Amino acid sequence: MVDKPTDADDAATSQTDAAADALDGAEVEEALAPPVKRSFLVRGESAIARGGMVLASLLFAAMATSGWWTQQTQRDAIAASRAEQVRAAESVLRESVESMLSQGDISGVRRLVVNAGRAYHLTKFRVILPDNQVIAANEPAKINAHKLPETWTGIASGGERDVATPTLVLLSRAMTVPGRGAARIDIQAPIDYPIGAFWEAQVGVWSIGAASLVMFLIVYRSMRSRLRAMGAIREALLALAGGERALPALAVGADLGDEADAWNTMLVERERLESSVAVARVKQSIADRRVNRGDLESAFDAMSQGLMLINEKLNVKLVNGAAAVFLQGKREEIQGAPIAPYVRDEHVMAAIEAVASGSVRRRTTLEVKRIDDKTGDAGVLKFSVRPVRREDSAAAMVIIEDVTQQRVADEARNAFVAQATHELRTPLTNIRLYVETAIEEGENNPAIRAKALNVINQEARRLEHIVGEMLSVSEIEAGSFKLNRADVRLDTLFSDLFIDYDAQANEKQIRLRMNLPPKLPAVKGDREKISVALQNLVGNALKYTPEGGQVTINVNVEQSLLTVEVNDTGIGISEDDLKHVFDKFYRAKDPRVVKITGTGLGLTLAREVVRLHGGDITVDSKLDKGSTFVLTLPISAEAV
Amino acid sequence: MNIGMQKQGAVTIVRPDGALLEVDAEQVKTALLQTASANLGRVVLDMEAIPFVDSRGLEVLVEVSEELSEGGQVLKLCAANKTVREVLEITELAALFEHFEDASSAARSFL
Repeated sequence: MVDKPTDADDAATSQTDAAADALDGAEVEEALAPPVKRSFLVRGESAIARGGMVLASLLFAAMATSGWWTQQTQRDAIAASRAEQVRAAESVLRESVESMLSQGDISGVRRLVVNAGRAYHLTKFRVILPDNQVIAANEPAKINAHKLPETWTGIASGGERDVATPTLVLLSRAMTVPGRGAARIDIQAPIDYPIGAFWEAQVGVWSIGAASLVMFLIVYRSMRSRLRAMGAIREALLALAGGERALPALAVGADLGDEADAWNTMLVERERLESSVAVARVKQSIADRRVNRGDLESAFDAMSQGLMLINEKLNVKLVNGAAAVFLQGKREEIQGAPIAPYVRDEHVMAAIEAVASGSVRRRTTLEVKRIDDKTGDAGVLKFSVRPVRREDSAAAMVIIEDVTQQRVADEARNAFVAQATHELRTPLTNIRLYVETAIEEGENNPAIRAKALNVINQEARRLEHIVGEMLSVSEIEAGSFKLNRADVRLDTLFSDLFIDYDAQANEKQIRLRMNLPPKLPAVKGDREKISVALQNLVGNALKYTPEGGQVTINVNVEQSLLTVEVNDTGIGISEDDLKHVFDKFYRAKDPRVVKITGTGLGLTLAREVVRLHGGDITVDSKLDKGSTFVLTLPISAEAV
Repeated sequence: MNIGMQKQGAVTIVRPDGALLEVDAEQVKTALLQTASANLGRVVLDMEAIPFVDSRGLEVLVEVSEELSEGGQVLKLCAANKTVREVLEITELAALFEHFEDASSAARSFL
């Protein structure tokens, strides 16, 4: 099953990707770009984003306040106008009531009061005579004086009142009915706030607010990259002031625009300038050191071979730098000194003596082991001693070459030839034996013939495989190994692989299991070569797992990486051998491994092939517990 | 800084992991010079994992190269990325070194 990639995996993958990009060396800027922080805010944005948020919240607060303010002023205006309306109505009504009462038209007054109460939406509208006799009211039930007296004395209690609360207008006015007496008018009017108008205003305010917030965000977005660049540069400047000098730490992301580019360019220029100065300084100091060396000496020093001229008294007349290194001494000390202490091998010394004294006139070549004094590293030096003919005196020229690498290569080659011969001979011997059997006994016995042919077939295949491996490795060595890239369908690749090895596993009673994700992409690569690499891993797992064991192949696709894990419960690899499993021709020293045939090329080849595809193979193993080989292969985007 | 050392035959591949800057560059210099003197100059600087080289790093490369040239050797670099190559070319230092595509071809050049 495919595991769901976690975020950490994502980050890890993208980091490796970034690293790989940097290694590919795509662009200067790309390599200089600091690793992308996996946070909401990228470098240089934090300060700007903070500013943006403060601005946005200020805007929000301003909107809320203006909403509240609008509401308040609106309420005040409504209350004031209602009070005004009630007062105006009252003064008109009062005069009408006065004149009607003076004429004694009490029913007219009562009609007027009810109608006016309804028209002006009054909760209370009363005409009161002294002693609280209500002569007319908008609610007829409240009337307690049914007849209008001809005249009355006293003043209506309560006095003048004009109060406007946020919800009510209370009005009390005294009046004089001509010819009859004083009276009072009481009005109570509620203040109604129209809900519709209120919401209209609110909606208006808030939509203006929202529109400006949107505008602000749009402007912020368009300015953001700019601001980010400036922010990043500001941080870099602060880092610079803080003593940071490393270019990758100072460079800002190249995707931040022209300002960032300019900044990076400036950094690179500064670095170049500094580099040139540093290099010039080093060169100058070297030039100073060499100033008193002659042409010939300089020429000698350019040689990678050690060169010495030794006179007949066995003193060193001339020595170059390489020779001094080879002889583990300082050139200044060797120059002019007796050669004896520096040549440690007696045969070489004898040869030099013989040639320098003039008694031997031919060239002598000797190979000598050199052990480094400081580190104990071993090497092989080739000394060639030649006579230098001069009329008056004899001299010897000693040429010293470092042939360690050649000898190591020779050894490897010899080991390979020995191993290869052995490997090739085993199947050949089998083929020859079974051909003989088939000829001698197979004529009359089809069963024997069939078996013989089967073995011959198998051995011929093995031979083909070995020769193929050897060729591939030598091609890789020579750099002429070519990949035929095409889309490789992984599903068929793995099902073929399983079919190829299932029978072999059954034969050895090993449980071979393969866990594939439900969907496998295609990869760009060389099907043949990838298949060989996988076969080597699975083949090895089966080969080095004893009967009854288990081999598991786990295939995973994560992001753009294919991971194949081949896990076995086999004999495992010791720590010493683990370092060398991918070395050419290397076979573990374990006697159990020695018993099993193999070229020591399979893993070398597998890893080289996978590396040529941009992937890698790693190994983890415990002796006697089993091994796990992990093959990773990038899946190219266009092939998915 | 992690400096990988790998033997390929008699050749030591020195593989620093990280940019050649300041202190790290010094460490690489020590590693290269020690290996070179023990190995008679059979050393390759694998630059595959070096994303960037600053002026101090360049100085170190030049110093090591000069030290090696005293013994008639040349510092061999391999797998340098484009950034590093550009820096070497701009500072006209590229000619001081031998360049190889990968560690194996650099190692083979000692044959």
